[in-house]
Amino acid sequence: MNPIYLFFHKTGSPPWFYKYSGKLIPWLWALFLALTIYGLYLGLFVAPADYQQGESVRIMYLHVPTAWMSMMIYGLMAIMGFIALVWRIRIMEVLVISSAPIGAAFTIIALITGSLWGRPTWGTYWVWDARLTSELVLLFLYFGVIALYNAFDEPRKAARAASLMSIVGAINLPIIYFSVEWWNTLHQGSSMGSDGPGIHPSMLLPLLLMATATKFYYGANLLTRARLCLLKQDHRKRWVQDLLSKESN
Amino acid sequence: MSHTPFILAAYLIGAVVLFWAAIAPVISKRSLLRQLKNRQARMEKSQ
Repeated sequence: MNPIYLFFHKTGSPPWFYKYSGKLIPWLWALFLALTIYGLYLGLFVAPADYQQGESVRIMYLHVPTAWMSMMIYGLMAIMGFIALVWRIRIMEVLVISSAPIGAAFTIIALITGSLWGRPTWGTYWVWDARLTSELVLLFLYFGVIALYNAFDEPRKAARAASLMSIVGAINLPIIYFSVEWWNTLHQGSSMGSDGPGIHPSMLLPLLLMATATKFYYGANLLTRARLCLLKQDHRKRWVQDLLSKESN
Repeated sequence: MSHTPFILAAYLIGAVVLFWAAIAPVISKRSLLRQLKNRQARMEKSQ
């Protein structure tokens, strides 16, 4: 068999995925923790306050990475959903549905921290401006994907419906990203524009550290949830029975 | 206006949400494994 096909065949096999993802998870958590501790130390204690926003700019080190993750995860869900629908790879269906709660968690944090940043900066917790509203729509899309998946009894049919919804909902991503350019909004422009980062390196480093840390968080959490989903779906299959017998002994 | 309460609230809420999102599947997995093991034990007993 072609080595590339063999690789996809192997990684797509639930027992193989369950076994090797389990080995990867502790490393991903360790990297997340190390980067978060260092990033928070730099962001909260070393980086200077902003000349206009003052100390409230420190919320950026949590708000911006979580907002990026909220969009990135939905984008990945759309890509994985497409692969799941076209090539019928079950692992991709599992990854789509396992991503949704993590994406929703990041979106909730982005919205709440943005609101807490907005109060001292703009004088209000919330305005119905394009960026905030489209990010709120993203949260509803995550909830929609989760609700749609849970509305079906048959898990594979449910995952395919959730995959389709992920693809359709991806239309919201360019709207969120370009909202600050297309409309006159209260929200500031992009911190990392096409002409390079618009912030000082002393602020950029903790921001990038936190952004990388959230990627490891997503990886670790996604694999944990995907393993749980596989156990639920395959609990009558031989590999799960073998696993249980091995753990009992 | 002091910005400290806003910063603390943001990080506290962020930590709680991330912690819950991380711990929820671990709790569910433990409960599922316990159920499956009990079922397996019952089946072995009845055979």
